[in-house]
Amino acid sequence: MEIPNRKTINNIYSEYFDIIDSYFEAIKHHLGDEEYSHINLGYYISKYPLISDLILDSLDDLYENIYEFWEENAKHLFDFIKSQSTLKCVYSGDITPVSLESFVKKSALYVDSIIIPDPIFNLTLYNKQIVFDNKFYLNKIVRHIFNIWKLKDLLITDAKDNIIFILPINIQLLSQQDQDNLLNNANSNYTRYINTLINQEFLDIQNLFNFIEGIRTTEDLINNVKNPKLLPREFREPIALNNFLKDFSSINKDPKYAHKSIGWGFATYVQSQFIRVQEHKTFCGKLLAEPIYDYELPWFFFNYDIGCSGIDEAIINSLQKEKFEWISKVPIHALKVLRENNKLEYMRSILRNGITDLKSKRDSELLEVSRQIEANFKEAFKKQKSEIKSLEKEVANIIKKEIPITTGGFLLGFLPTPFNTVVSIFTTFRDMKNNILKLRKKRTDISIKKNDFINLLMNSYDD
Amino acid sequence: MMIKKENMDFFRDGMGIFLGYIERQYKKNPNYKPHPIIRAFNCALEAIGKYEVGKRIMGVSHEGTKDNICDPYVVVLEKKANGIEVKEIRNMKVDKELPVDVMIIIFRLQIQLDKINGDTVNPQQMVDALNSVIPGNMFSALGDRWKEARDEFKRLLDRGEIHIPKNDDLIEELEKINNNTPWEKYSKRLRNLIGASLKSAAVTITSPTNSKIKKYSVFDTAIEFMIGKSSEYFKNQISNNFSKNL
Repeated sequence: MEIPNRKTINNIYSEYFDIIDSYFEAIKHHLGDEEYSHINLGYYISKYPLISDLILDSLDDLYENIYEFWEENAKHLFDFIKSQSTLKCVYSGDITPVSLESFVKKSALYVDSIIIPDPIFNLTLYNKQIVFDNKFYLNKIVRHIFNIWKLKDLLITDAKDNIIFILPINIQLLSQQDQDNLLNNANSNYTRYINTLINQEFLDIQNLFNFIEGIRTTEDLINNVKNPKLLPREFREPIALNNFLKDFSSINKDPKYAHKSIGWGFATYVQSQFIRVQEHKTFCGKLLAEPIYDYELPWFFFNYDIGCSGIDEAIINSLQKEKFEWISKVPIHALKVLRENNKLEYMRSILRNGITDLKSKRDSELLEVSRQIEANFKEAFKKQKSEIKSLEKEVANIIKKEIPITTGGFLLGFLPTPFNTVVSIFTTFRDMKNNILKLRKKRTDISIKKNDFINLLMNSYDD
Repeated sequence: MMIKKENMDFFRDGMGIFLGYIERQYKKNPNYKPHPIIRAFNCALEAIGKYEVGKRIMGVSHEGTKDNICDPYVVVLEKKANGIEVKEIRNMKVDKELPVDVMIIIFRLQIQLDKINGDTVNPQQMVDALNSVIPGNMFSALGDRWKEARDEFKRLLDRGEIHIPKNDDLIEELEKINNNTPWEKYSKRLRNLIGASLKSAAVTITSPTNSKIKKYSVFDTAIEFMIGKSSEYFKNQISNNFSKNL
């Protein structure tokens, strides 16, 4: 197996962006600096039927080009990523993270590389053809195109390790046998989960499905749940659950799904999660990577089905919690600073402090781990502030005390004195030079400290 | 050409994305022929560079043959100090300015027809392409139902519900045909008359199933239906369906 080099990887991603640009160049002028500048653009465009229809038609063959592109290039990237002996994570949960930029910033504090399933590949080849209503699809595709544009510099890079990789990841890419195995595992775990949840003993998935499909209201659904702790937190409140399931059914392009019961929506969603977890596990295995999520719901199902493997996984996923939203304010170039200064391992050691494997495995909701990470950040900032303060103090001392004394001594050497002074001109001149060098070094130390990654993080935390 | 202000940006974006589509087709096939509107536009655009601000230039393009001109368009551009303004896009066959919504539908129709290999389509492909861009399933292909239509037409004729003037050529043609006369032998005019008797859609395409229809004539059918003389008959359906969004 010949491992492709950095140049080949960059060329592959350049070609990827060429394809995207050839379809979407005309709307690139909407790309702004702000993180959410494009977030509703696809929605606004999709509101205008004729124009949006023309756009949809013009994009119709995008899937062919993306498919051909990955057919040619996916293997090179898989081989390259597999050959990297670094901490890598494969994302799963949504098409891409809800806020991709923020997700990347948070994750890049700990992992070397984040592998994101190509949203264009999944949207055009699977979601559009099978699931999504056209306008919903247009909204999504525009949003994800902009997400990817924003990360172009991180994909095509000269850095030693890519912060991000985009790869085609989908169950459909597996061999038929692997797909069958995966679906068998998912369905058997799904059946076990639902049986435990509603305290039933269905042996056959179809019977189980028929039973749940018969549940017409959210109240009935909640009443049938005998082990509420097995429900994700978002599903324990009837109104939230009802809204979630209605949204889930409404994106489907086939109108027959609009009339399906609440029970059907629940059963279908949960089953899709068990399949997704197995798919995620399979691709993590193929790429020798850890799983990563950007919100709690998919993490819940992963944790239920597979469980947390230890410190790294717990930290990576805890960093995605809302309490660390301030990290999204860190400028994206700061990530490059972190890597260029080889401080990633140092950052990891800060975050790992006080977290053990045992603690990670027990903490299914990642409450304790995220609390500890927060404390670790605060401790690192405190230390940073105190180091800067102490450096500033040293500078002040040199300016206030040592330089004036030396200068005084130096001047004294020139004074006509009635007695033979012990102050030699040579000694005082050397002292002064040393002090100025010392001062310069301390000032440089302060500047380095103020520009280092911890400080960039600290500034975002303080904002 | 009036475009509502709030839609201006997205109109430009949409057109830009469509032009990207044209560009990709050129890359795939250097002999690719975009719709005459685009060609007339390009023609005017190439020439306008030589002229001073305030001057207008016209680009013309069409399809078909010398004896049968199809899909003819004129695009008028005016050179402004800060760019170029589209003054008019006119379909010369119906001699009407092309409304923006109709132009978008024509471009969408082109994309649908591009998906079919070759220069021609069969009646069902034509109907599918038209129905996919003009809302309301306004078109149908008579296909194998022509015998059913013929019998219905005969019934209506016998009951006096259809009246054909005595000196009309159709009377002679009707006298000649019998149950064994193949559909291909019917005149186009009679086929249309018979097809309409089934009332299966606003427009019934009565060409025999295996006939090859030039793609460019599909555009003429669309234009005739949307802004040509026959559009008067479908005014309500058309305005209810697609003129309300821009």
